[in-house]
Amino acid sequence: MRIIIGVADMKVSSQAEAELITYSLGSCLGVVVYDPLVRVGGLLHFMLPESQIDPEKARRNPWMFADTGIPFLFKEAYKYGADKGRMIVKVAGGSQIMDDQGFFNIGKRNYAAMRKIFWRNNVLIQAEDVGGMINRTVRLELSSGRVWLKTSGEGEREL
Amino acid sequence: MNRIEAIIRSIDRLPPLPAIIHQALQRINDPGSSAQDVVEIIQYDQGITAQVLQVCNSAYFNLRRQVHSLKEALVLLGFNTLMQILLHNSFKGVLSHSCRGYDLDTGALWKHSVSCALLTEILTRRLQRQPDSRLFTAALLHDMGKVVLSAYVQETFAAIKGLVREQGYSFVAAEREVLGIDHAELGGLIAEKWAFPRAIIAAVRYHHTPWLSGEDCSDLVGLVHLANCMALLTGIGGGSDGLYYTGDPDLMENFRLREKDVEKCLTQLNDRLAAMEAWLEMG
Ligand SMILES: [Fe+2]
Ligand SMILES: [Fe+2]
Repeated sequence: MRIIIGVADMKVSSQAEAELITYSLGSCLGVVVYDPLVRVGGLLHFMLPESQIDPEKARRNPWMFADTGIPFLFKEAYKYGADKGRMIVKVAGGSQIMDDQGFFNIGKRNYAAMRKIFWRNNVLIQAEDVGGMINRTVRLELSSGRVWLKTSGEGEREL
Repeated sequence: MNRIEAIIRSIDRLPPLPAIIHQALQRINDPGSSAQDVVEIIQYDQGITAQVLQVCNSAYFNLRRQVHSLKEALVLLGFNTLMQILLHNSFKGVLSHSCRGYDLDTGALWKHSVSCALLTEILTRRLQRQPDSRLFTAALLHDMGKVVLSAYVQETFAAIKGLVREQGYSFVAAEREVLGIDHAELGGLIAEKWAFPRAIIAAVRYHHTPWLSGEDCSDLVGLVHLANCMALLTGIGGGSDGLYYTGDPDLMENFRLREKDVEKCLTQLNDRLAAMEAWLEMG
């Protein structure tokens, strides 16, 4: 069973036969968490670094922003029995367009905001594929915890 | 026949615009004509009228009564919404084709196009300007050239990709280098063939190179460019050309926009897309 995560969206699941997938990561970031012992996994697809840009929107849709979405993802995984110490974290996305003056460098700022949150909370990133100018699709197999990365126009590889 | 000629000729394989749509669009895009003029044209086509009324009467609009005529629809929904329904009905088919050359599945280009069109609206509101139906049309059609160029991009993808990945070319610059023409210029030719107003043709042709628009330069060109940059960032309906396109910082400055404005606009896209999908599914 394929559970699709949209833009500014998140799903956590413990169904062994399921896979979580998010398409079309541009400057957005996909954050995958997985606890191999209880086989609980989650995938967050956030869009922007900080919720202060629109607190009202953040209340309705916390998954839009790094600072509201990432804590939400972890808390939700804990509810399913995941343990922070065992959790594997992988990330992908954060692309940008060709822009010398940084008007459109949301990808970079998304990555920086995420790193800051992880650093404060002692979360290590196990694997990542970020930056560049490509579109990415990320898929988590809940039975195995394997994460697959597809770059638009190319094949799939394990992250 | 050389390749550029072959590419340009293949524009003819696109389905022609239905005459009624053509006339309606010309009126829609003529600032001198009224909403009433558009309705006058469409109402003689029963098929289109029925489609528009079906969307109007869908749960999404939640109108208190059944709408039976386009005139009523115009009063209840306003000209802009009516125009958008018409544009969607006209172009959803051709823009939904899969484009193998760009690794776009069925429906992906359509999603990108709608995102761009909605972002021009969001931007217009943010800039406190009047909605402009020409702008929406241009944004919706800006990547039309991809539908035609896709097959040629597929044939030459290795060469294009090489220039992009190894030599720092933007995707359009690489298309132009390898094929002699790019999807933006080709889109401009399609818009020209369909006899669209000059500002729309220019906005399509220069959507990746607004700084080259010269005497055709207008707000339309600039806003379609910026909305497309934002649409690229979202990744929605994104393909193998990725984000390999240049953003024009001067335009950001001309419109007095900052990076925070880009973020603000993007926060609004999701809701607008969801709303639009809700009523399109009815249509
Ligand atoms: Fe384009
Ligand atoms: Fe585009």
